[in-house]
Amino acid sequence: MTPEEREPSPDQLLAMAYADGELTAEARRTFEARLAREPDLVREVAEHLRLDVLARRAAGPEPADFEWKRLASETLQRSGLGVGWTLLLGGSTALFVWAAIKVALSDLDLAAKLALAALGVGVGLVGAFTVRARLRTLHLDPYRDLER
Amino acid sequence: MIVVTTDLIPGREIVETLGLVRGNTVRSRHALRVFAALFKQLVGGEVHEYTKLLAETREQALDRMIDEAHSQHADAVVGVRFASTEISRAAAEFMAYGTAVKLAPKRDVR
Repeated sequence: MTPEEREPSPDQLLAMAYADGELTAEARRTFEARLAREPDLVREVAEHLRLDVLARRAAGPEPADFEWKRLASETLQRSGLGVGWTLLLGGSTALFVWAAIKVALSDLDLAAKLALAALGVGVGLVGAFTVRARLRTLHLDPYRDLER
Repeated sequence: MIVVTTDLIPGREIVETLGLVRGNTVRSRHALRVFAALFKQLVGGEVHEYTKLLAETREQALDRMIDEAHSQHADAVVGVRFASTEISRAAAEFMAYGTAVKLAPKRDVR
């Protein structure tokens, strides 16, 4: 018996019923209390929702999809885009670092330099923690695999 | 849960109107995807980044509406409509709304 053929556990059945809106109000409240402290159960519900969304929206591929796939695997296309993105990101980073150095070495008031540094660090921190939050919840987003 | 854009459901009759149910969401693609989409707009054709964005947004809004209907113990949502707005160049809002109803099998009137 493969893992896929295994009978669902009581928690898996409960997660499915919860995701399908089939629990009574009382059972729903109890289950939601468990969700607040059991990340594995949250993942179970998210996975069920993801499969449910995909099953409902599954659309057959269109002719262009095959060509996109073929194109994406072509060496020229892959390397061209890869080099392009690398140069773009590398150039932006280098430009940012150059600007930071220029500002640091300029005749600008110390207060203005500190303010700019605070601004840069602030933007960096907000950006980093926003990315962190997104990555932490990405696997719980059942809509991420939808294409059209 | 039956979800239809029509006001009536063949073979069933509405025995109770529970009221408006709606669901909305605002979603965006990440900055690199938006940047790639800008290039695609220059050359024309389908912009998959935005197609995907709208598909995700539409389905989430619909599911939230259905969740609200479930919480009202509705059997169906009739007269479903979608409304969309552009929050910014890279973010789309979709709202799905309709009327939650209770159904019963249609009685023959002779």
